[in-house]
Amino acid sequence: MFLRLFPCLALLALGLAACNRHAPESTAKSGSPTIALVVKTLNNPFFIDMQAGAEAETKRLGVNLLVQAAEREIDVERQMQIVENLIERHVDALCIAPSGSREIVPVIVKANRAGIPVLIIDTRADEKALAAAGGRIAAFIGSDNYDGGRIAGAFVAERLGGSGAVAVLEGIPGHETGDARLRGFREAIAAAPGIHIVASQPANWERDQGFNVCQNILQAHPDVKALFACSDLMALGAVEAIAAAHRTGQILVVGFDALPEARAAIKQGTMAATVAQFPQKMGELAVANAVKALKGEAIPASIPVPIQLVK
Amino acid sequence: MPSLVSALRLRGIRKTFPGVLALDGVDFDLLSGEVHILLGENGAGKSTLMKIISGASRRDAGTMEIAGVPVDLTGPRHAQELGIGIIYQELNLVPHLSVAENILLGREPMLCPGVLDRRRLRRIAQELLDELGLTIAAGAVVSSLGVAEQQMVEVAKALSLDARVLIMDEPTSALTSQEIERLFATIRRLKARGVGIIYISHRMEELFAIGDRVTVLRDGRYIGTKAIGECTLDSLIAMMTGRDLDAQFPKEAARPGEVALRVEGLGRNGVLHDISFSVRRGEIVGLAGLMGSGRTELARALFGADAIDCGRIEVHGRERRIRSPREAIDLGLGFLTEDRKTQGLVLALSVQSNLCLPSLDKYARGGVMMETRERAAAGRMVDELHIKTPGLQQRADCLSGGNQQKVVLGKWLCTAADILIFDEPTRGIDVGAKVEIYRLMNRLAAQGAAILMISSELPEILGMSDRILVMHEGRIAREFSAGATQEQLLAAALGRSV
Amino acid sequence: MTLKPFLIRYARQFGTLFGLVLLCIALWIATPYFLTSSNLLNIMEQSAINALIAVGMTFIIISGGIDLSVGSLVAFTGVVLAGFLHDGWPWPLAVACGLVAGLGCGIVNGLLVTLGRLPPFIATLGTMSVARGAALLYTDGRPSSGFDSGFRSLATGQVLHIPAPAVIMLVVYVLGHFVLTRTKFGRYTYAIGGNEEAALLSGVRVRLYKTLIYGAGGLLSALAAVLLTARLNSAQPIAGINYELDAIAATVIGGTSLLGGQGTMGGTLVGALIMGVLRNGLNLLGVSSFVQQVVIGAVIILAVLVDVLFKPKKK
Repeated sequence: MFLRLFPCLALLALGLAACNRHAPESTAKSGSPTIALVVKTLNNPFFIDMQAGAEAETKRLGVNLLVQAAEREIDVERQMQIVENLIERHVDALCIAPSGSREIVPVIVKANRAGIPVLIIDTRADEKALAAAGGRIAAFIGSDNYDGGRIAGAFVAERLGGSGAVAVLEGIPGHETGDARLRGFREAIAAAPGIHIVASQPANWERDQGFNVCQNILQAHPDVKALFACSDLMALGAVEAIAAAHRTGQILVVGFDALPEARAAIKQGTMAATVAQFPQKMGELAVANAVKALKGEAIPASIPVPIQLVK
Repeated sequence: MPSLVSALRLRGIRKTFPGVLALDGVDFDLLSGEVHILLGENGAGKSTLMKIISGASRRDAGTMEIAGVPVDLTGPRHAQELGIGIIYQELNLVPHLSVAENILLGREPMLCPGVLDRRRLRRIAQELLDELGLTIAAGAVVSSLGVAEQQMVEVAKALSLDARVLIMDEPTSALTSQEIERLFATIRRLKARGVGIIYISHRMEELFAIGDRVTVLRDGRYIGTKAIGECTLDSLIAMMTGRDLDAQFPKEAARPGEVALRVEGLGRNGVLHDISFSVRRGEIVGLAGLMGSGRTELARALFGADAIDCGRIEVHGRERRIRSPREAIDLGLGFLTEDRKTQGLVLALSVQSNLCLPSLDKYARGGVMMETRERAAAGRMVDELHIKTPGLQQRADCLSGGNQQKVVLGKWLCTAADILIFDEPTRGIDVGAKVEIYRLMNRLAAQGAAILMISSELPEILGMSDRILVMHEGRIAREFSAGATQEQLLAAALGRSV
Repeated sequence: MTLKPFLIRYARQFGTLFGLVLLCIALWIATPYFLTSSNLLNIMEQSAINALIAVGMTFIIISGGIDLSVGSLVAFTGVVLAGFLHDGWPWPLAVACGLVAGLGCGIVNGLLVTLGRLPPFIATLGTMSVARGAALLYTDGRPSSGFDSGFRSLATGQVLHIPAPAVIMLVVYVLGHFVLTRTKFGRYTYAIGGNEEAALLSGVRVRLYKTLIYGAGGLLSALAAVLLTARLNSAQPIAGINYELDAIAATVIGGTSLLGGQGTMGGTLVGALIMGVLRNGLNLLGVSSFVQQVVIGAVIILAVLVDVLFKPKKK
């Protein structure tokens, strides 16, 4: 009677064995190092681009790549588990885009202890927390989000011609990436005395929340002339809300990340601009520098990736 | 009147389940146009035999003939095609469909494929109902009918399938006495049409009213078949239980002591009005009344399960407020509920856990169970009440009805309750177990317990009570001494002054 | 005759345990990294948080209820705890206060269900949102981090080379099993879930015990929050999203019936470990996160499906 789970689990076992055969490492060259890329999530185009860049670079350099991510972008504990599991798997180098700047620190320390070099991408690990825990990272690869926010702010100020109400869609509060973008944007707006931020609300990086929050803001502040969203996904949600309110073209929408969809929206005129980061480049640089570090070559502690406004 | 044409003939039927010999060489004959009673205690093999006849289960050995032709049923559908209909205790109708739609479910007349011929549907059904002498409209929605009428619909459905053999499993368990009369009238019509009826019931008086012959099973074995005229209640009970019982109600004379429970002017809005009575130690007080007259509501109010609005309750001479069953139990009350499956037992728990549930504090120190003490107490109860169970850890839902009822009773023996409220203590259990329960009531009363017994069975009330209270519309209509007659009780229950 | 009821009683857990063993064998064959002592301890450590929440969930589900608020309670008690720690309280005291806060929240759930007569699904759906909102309000949406090493040792420490979270988990399971099988509280939990009316009429103080059961759920969520906060060295108001679903999954895989009245602690532990082993194994194999979600969902369905299909038919 208690053998009844047997057939199901036998199937599962077979399935797992099959998974193993299709795992990347078995097709790659043995003996060459394995680099793990842990991103925040794989349902965001930004990280898919990052993965594509990393894959291209691993192919070029002839190393193995493992890409893993949590189901949800904000699941710091799950990301921690993934990194722990990869340490158990003895990968040679870890490239991590942290889901939480401080929450990633304990696992960096674990990797240090296992002698695995850690490269941080896109979102910085909190430097104070890292220092306090005695953790080390080999390099940070990413754009300066603060600069990106400033570029966006300056663009809005210029286009509004010195006066007007501005709304902001924030990411998840307490997130280094979003906070830096926000800081940069606010600073640039503060430099233009006639322009005010009348509403600034989190939409948690999500498109549908971008829609809802924007709709609410439009209700409360019909005079809003421009909207800055800390990510394109939220901006695209906001564009829909603006269209639903029949105000397309009347509100300047600026996003962040330069997703293909956002670029298309700019061509159509529903969005005004977006800040381009180059996730593909980040992926490439992460793998390239990880390989260098494994060979014992010196790599810079901070590797900037350019950032620019797309109009 | 029964013909001599054999409708169904079984010989040497044998069926085993893992570890159990359910039927051992059972013979059974059914003639066309007779009502053949199948009698036996719970677990005697009646249900298994019916399952074999209706094709739901296959026999291991033996032969079966329908109208003289040997058959091997492949399933319920096959049995149906051969003219065997069965009406289960739980009705199988679709409540939101009409009577006609239910009767012809799955065989609806069509105008063309996919389109119902509603007029013909209704006409066929109405003809069937009329033929049975029923006043049910074919267009009525089933859920609007009473239980008895629904049962008639089941009968009509079986007949629409041209049943020659009809099995009725406890058809009267949910019916009032007028409804039972109507059912019997229908059964007589069916007999006249030559339908053979296998009738299963625990109510002995019905058997004499409707049966032609009776076959008794005991422990899976065939005991015998007799014409009903040759039998007496005692002889049937003896056949079923294998021992002679002095009487159906082994009432012993009571020696009432001081008042254990006194109720004065108790009321609950809209349900109970100005209820006053008392029960003495050593006394069994019967509480009769129709369904909905407030008997169970009174029991629940006394036990603290429902709040009361006014009135006093005195327990052993001291006025008490009983706000929860816990408080009632702590005062020495016990409540054997009407429905053991939904109120009496936690079916998924073991016999032991159920027995000890109300008295758990006795077997726990600082919240931690003292396993050995609990086991000892439960074991004692199982021995004392002759509860048939493979073990103390057996789940309660695996026991037969009578044994389940003994477990519920055992719960209150474990708390040493001395004021016991029994609500329908013998409902749905077989004769042997009934007598055991009555004996226990006697013993408890003799030990000084005060017992309030609610029952719908007037013979039981008359047979076991020292005094009888009759309720009508939330009030106590009358009080009788033990010598009352059924007619007097019924009149009081119906609200007539005598 | 004595063996059979025993087997019937424990068949479900043996089935699940057997599944876990088989899964481990499959992973052992599939990857050399799986069956190492450090990885097995790693799995225990990773499973601990879900497993702890599942202890409370098991009590609640056996009693016939459900608690959707546990994930939010993890976040709420986590930030409250962080607040105490940052106010400079000694960490054992702060932890105790965090646990009391969790207990309190659970009791509120219980009162809503018992006194408020709300269906547990609705009551805890409400508190799920309230607790999450309260956590965000309390922290202004920001995580708070950086705790002293004494506190952090709850997650980073070891006892006899076993990670502290795994030790805590095992201790709580032994306790949970004891409470469920050997105490009045446990017996009443089964009785209430099996037949609330019968329990009430047997003198069980149903309201009191139900409230306590939800309280226990809150307490265990708080304990999970302590471990999570120590592990991440950070308390996030957005922590614990969907944890209720993981805990329900572990409980159900472990054979606890959502209808109440049936279930065991051992089953839940095995259920939580199955989820932990699966996630770990799929990571080791480098399976994509999308496939992982499919596999875990399939295992939940399989576990319950097998249960339904093989359940002995009622007579």
